[in-house]
Amino acid sequence: MVETKELPQTRRPSGLQLGFMVFVILAVLTAAEFMFAFFLNAWPLMALMAFLKGGLVLNYYMHFPRLFQADKDENRESFSYKLTTNRLGLWFFMLSDAFIFGGLLVSRFNLLALTRPQLNQFMGLTITTVLLISSFFANRAEVSMEQGNRRQAIISLSITIILGLAFLATVLFVEWRIAPFGPGDGVQGAVFYSMTGFHAFHVLTGIFFLSIVLRNLIRQRYSAEKHWGLEAAIVYWHFIDVVWIFFYPALYLIGTLPH
Amino acid sequence: MKHFIIIALLVIASTLAIHAGLNSIGLLPVLASAQGVSIDQLFGIYMWAIAFVFSLIMVTMLYSLFVFRRKKGETGEGTHFEGNNNLEVAWTAIPLIAVLYLAFLGARSLSETRRIDPSAMVVKVVAEQWSWQFQYPDYLFSSKDLYLPVGKQIDLQMTSLDVIHSFYVPEFRLKQDILPGRSVDLRITPTRLGHYTLTCAQLCGAHHADMVANVVVVSQADFLAWTQKEIASAPKDPVLIGQQLASLYGCAVCHSVDGSKKVGPTWLHLYSSSVPLSDGTKVNADATYLTNSIKNPNLQIVAGFSPNVMPDTFAQALTDTQIQNLIAYIESLK
Amino acid sequence: MKKTATLGLFRGFLWEIIGTVFGVAFVTVVRMLMRLPAWKPEPAAVVGALFGALFFLYGVGVLDDWIKWANGEEAPEHVEDASLGWRRYFSVSLDHKVIGMQYLTLALILFAIGGMFALIFRTDLAQPMAQFLTPIEYNTLMSLHGIVMIIGILVGISAIMNYTVPLLIGANDMAFPRLNAFSFWIAVPAGVILLSSLFMGGFDTGWTGYPPLSLRAPLGIQMFFLGVSLSSFSSILSALNILVSVTRLRAKGMTPFRMPIFVWAAIATSVISMTATQLIGLAFQMSMLERLLGMGFFDPIKGGNPVLFEHLFWFYSHPAVYVFILPGLGIISELLPVFVRKPLYGYKWVAMSSLAIALTGFLVWGHHMFAAGMAEYLREPFMYSTLLVSVPTGVKFFSWVATMWKGKITFPSPMLFVLGGIVVFLLGGLSGPPNATVSTDLMLNNTYYIVGHFHDTLFGGYVFTLFAALYFWWPKMTGRRLNETLGKLHFWLMGPAMLVLTLVMMRVGLLGMRRRVYNYDTSLGLQPYHMVMTIAGFLIGLSVLIFFINIFITMKRGEIVTGNIWNSRSPEWQVPSPMPIHNYEKEFEVVGEPYDYGLPGSRYVKFQGED
Repeated sequence: MVETKELPQTRRPSGLQLGFMVFVILAVLTAAEFMFAFFLNAWPLMALMAFLKGGLVLNYYMHFPRLFQADKDENRESFSYKLTTNRLGLWFFMLSDAFIFGGLLVSRFNLLALTRPQLNQFMGLTITTVLLISSFFANRAEVSMEQGNRRQAIISLSITIILGLAFLATVLFVEWRIAPFGPGDGVQGAVFYSMTGFHAFHVLTGIFFLSIVLRNLIRQRYSAEKHWGLEAAIVYWHFIDVVWIFFYPALYLIGTLPH
Repeated sequence: MKHFIIIALLVIASTLAIHAGLNSIGLLPVLASAQGVSIDQLFGIYMWAIAFVFSLIMVTMLYSLFVFRRKKGETGEGTHFEGNNNLEVAWTAIPLIAVLYLAFLGARSLSETRRIDPSAMVVKVVAEQWSWQFQYPDYLFSSKDLYLPVGKQIDLQMTSLDVIHSFYVPEFRLKQDILPGRSVDLRITPTRLGHYTLTCAQLCGAHHADMVANVVVVSQADFLAWTQKEIASAPKDPVLIGQQLASLYGCAVCHSVDGSKKVGPTWLHLYSSSVPLSDGTKVNADATYLTNSIKNPNLQIVAGFSPNVMPDTFAQALTDTQIQNLIAYIESLK
Repeated sequence: MKKTATLGLFRGFLWEIIGTVFGVAFVTVVRMLMRLPAWKPEPAAVVGALFGALFFLYGVGVLDDWIKWANGEEAPEHVEDASLGWRRYFSVSLDHKVIGMQYLTLALILFAIGGMFALIFRTDLAQPMAQFLTPIEYNTLMSLHGIVMIIGILVGISAIMNYTVPLLIGANDMAFPRLNAFSFWIAVPAGVILLSSLFMGGFDTGWTGYPPLSLRAPLGIQMFFLGVSLSSFSSILSALNILVSVTRLRAKGMTPFRMPIFVWAAIATSVISMTATQLIGLAFQMSMLERLLGMGFFDPIKGGNPVLFEHLFWFYSHPAVYVFILPGLGIISELLPVFVRKPLYGYKWVAMSSLAIALTGFLVWGHHMFAAGMAEYLREPFMYSTLLVSVPTGVKFFSWVATMWKGKITFPSPMLFVLGGIVVFLLGGLSGPPNATVSTDLMLNNTYYIVGHFHDTLFGGYVFTLFAALYFWWPKMTGRRLNETLGKLHFWLMGPAMLVLTLVMMRVGLLGMRRRVYNYDTSLGLQPYHMVMTIAGFLIGLSVLIFFINIFITMKRGEIVTGNIWNSRSPEWQVPSPMPIHNYEKEFEVVGEPYDYGLPGSRYVKFQGED
């Protein structure tokens, strides 16, 4: 018997609804951590929220569990075998990159302890929201592609890129302008500009990869079965979002303003 | 079986020989501090351990290489055996216990080196590229040589004016890196009269190699005599003392005396002038204001300058008299 | 000329020059637009060098396939063309064997340069007072000796791992051949930039680059920071490739505990390389930003913390030393069974000991900072963790001796270097515990004792084992065998000279001589020791020269060998030498244990079609 509509085993059944539900939970958690920061400024609580949000993105948007699925085709030359190999490579890359951001976090706490830099909370919450929404649309793009809906994938991916550009522009041309200190102004400046700078550089590369992939998507280079480039760029984008999930509370929420 | 007997005898002989050899050449310089006693004891234990482990492995290895070498014309392979879990556990567990014991001895030795004598004499050490200065706060003078009384614990409070240096007198055994912007502590109780050399032990630029000072350990009586001599020849004029302190503590790094703007406000014409603060008010730069600015630099920030830049360690590093001398110097720049 | 122009390396250098000029111009224009004084040497040099490296990568051709993919085109699997001959080695090749030899060439060049720096300043040090080097020249040569050798070691490790790992696991190449080529080629401009520091004023900080001294150093330090940052990508991506390849491309039947033991060493090494290396990149980039933009990370004048740099730096640089030695210790475990003709004793324990060393290696970095003024409560834990590393290391030593026990032992050059590695590394390892213990370390830190300790561990764990691997696999790489007499001469010169050099270093260190000094007091009476060290250094250099001569002679008229000259059970020796271009025409299946020498009728691998 020939099955006509078979979901390939290498993909989790991640429908558009699941993506939206995850986004709603992330939004609620973000609002909660913002509230907690003002009424109960305890860093373990902030850290816990960050881990929860990060875990959700890792599991549902980045499909971490896919790494542990058994190969359905043992043939080393097959597309599906190489796909799993590529995924492993991408995850190792992100693991390695995570160490840079880990080092920056360590530096932030070493230099600022439990004080935090003087920043505009409204801007912080805004750009965090923008990035979170962009991840939602990135996931939507990937799920649409898996379901063969190329048109929806193009629209969602375009929105992701626009939101990514909005994030970048706001950080570089608003946040960096209105901050009451410059990069050379003591430890506050050093920590703030280095963390946002390294992150913004990765956002820039993420936009670059997403744009290349969008171009190829429009020129019909991808199919529901074969779209590794799209998946990779989007998973990388989610990784950048996870970094921000930890950087946002570290910069804006944890600690008290210095006297 | 006879293999093991021969090896055991050779290991014992080798251990004794190596240890004797190491001892005979005098590995360490003469010991001149109380803190170094537990250190030298620990070195002694390590020499035995090193001689033993080296012998154990080398003898067994060389023995095997000789006895089990392929002789001319021999064919065939080695005796096939893959391993023995019990042996593996043994040679994991025994070294594990041994290193834990060594770590315990090390911890004990460390706490002995850090014993605090409340009556210790404070000597302030100022390191800069590429020279040393020693301040004797109890006697109010500074010196280029480090004179120390034997048998008394010295609390060395050290700071650097520029980069990381390190205090090292091999005969005292202990070493401590000296950081800029902070005061670090090292306690030494000299136990032997003599002349030693203090060398900087952290690469600090081109002339790191030349950054040395004389260390002289004398009897308590001779030390007092020396302090009298130094006090007699020290400057009496508060302005001169203040100028010396300003150079010693690196004030000029941030505060110019010729009116130019550096990281901090200039001292030229500062005394009794009207100073605009960052909160919009103005204050008179009198002795009270200047004292507070040195002890608590972040309470009042001058307009156009940044907070959290000037170290707040001077309250601890300088005595009140020294601060008065500094202010006398600043006043002289009216 | 036209033929030279087609060489990737030549095109790469051409584009590097263009890129450097472009980078300098770019910075100048941006500064003009920002209404700053247009010309400032430091940002111009840094951005120029960075663009130079990027343009080099484009010019050499290593980005071409990725550019094709970005354009939505196919990039076919490269067909290796053996008829290109030596040209293959000067251009982008995706063949891991070619890449391995490219890495090896670069490593040997770096060792020669780093070694010559050492001989220059050792000549000056033979006499107490400075002879011909100014202090800044001495500090620069000494610093460069350190970092050039370190980069050389990392490149050499990539050489061994890239060449052998696919062969050992039965794969026809690495999982990501293009990434592999990229990992090699980025190391080339990185090395050029590093060495250019010589002509940009040098630097006086040692390879450790501590601030605030690094913030005041001459311009050369930026080339040091940038060169190391770029080469860190080589390490990281190379390690990533190894880990994915070993996970995904092992031959049928090759369960984890039936892999050749060197593969375990490669895994342990790569776990460290792929992760910790990012921290030295970060520490150096933060220093660069502090110099360029005044960002106050480490300078107390700006409220920064110099000890933070030390934590970030050593968090990588300690595990890095395990990267340096784990492959070599794996080589010892891999080669001993071949020359003693019996199994590696306690294979599983040896495999796990590599992982244990790698993992505990992440927990000990503070022992470099016992005197640094870090928080007091940190000193004891780091002492305990550091002493613990000796336990898995000890397991290896005991295993090696047990492997030799009741063997049938022969002593060709590879075996000599394996044994030399064990002896020298033993000395290095035994000199470690006094450094691991805080109070004794306060005497030893920053003295020549430390210098002796790490030269012994590096020479034993890496240099000797590298030569063992080269003498062993040379026929597999080239189809010719290195001259045995010269090999023995190389060993008998290098071994004793190395022992003398390092024992004397430890001696003068224990007597209180500090390191990184361009002269020393005559009254210390240490001059005879320094003369001995200088002579020993030259003997080591001579032995390496003999090795290079051996390479050249062998290329011209070395003994041609095509078969399994070592009678090894390992798969790569079951096919002819030099290694066929696609590795294994027929796949093999693992049907037994790797080291069952002396067990009649046992086989390790069975090729398709064999019975």
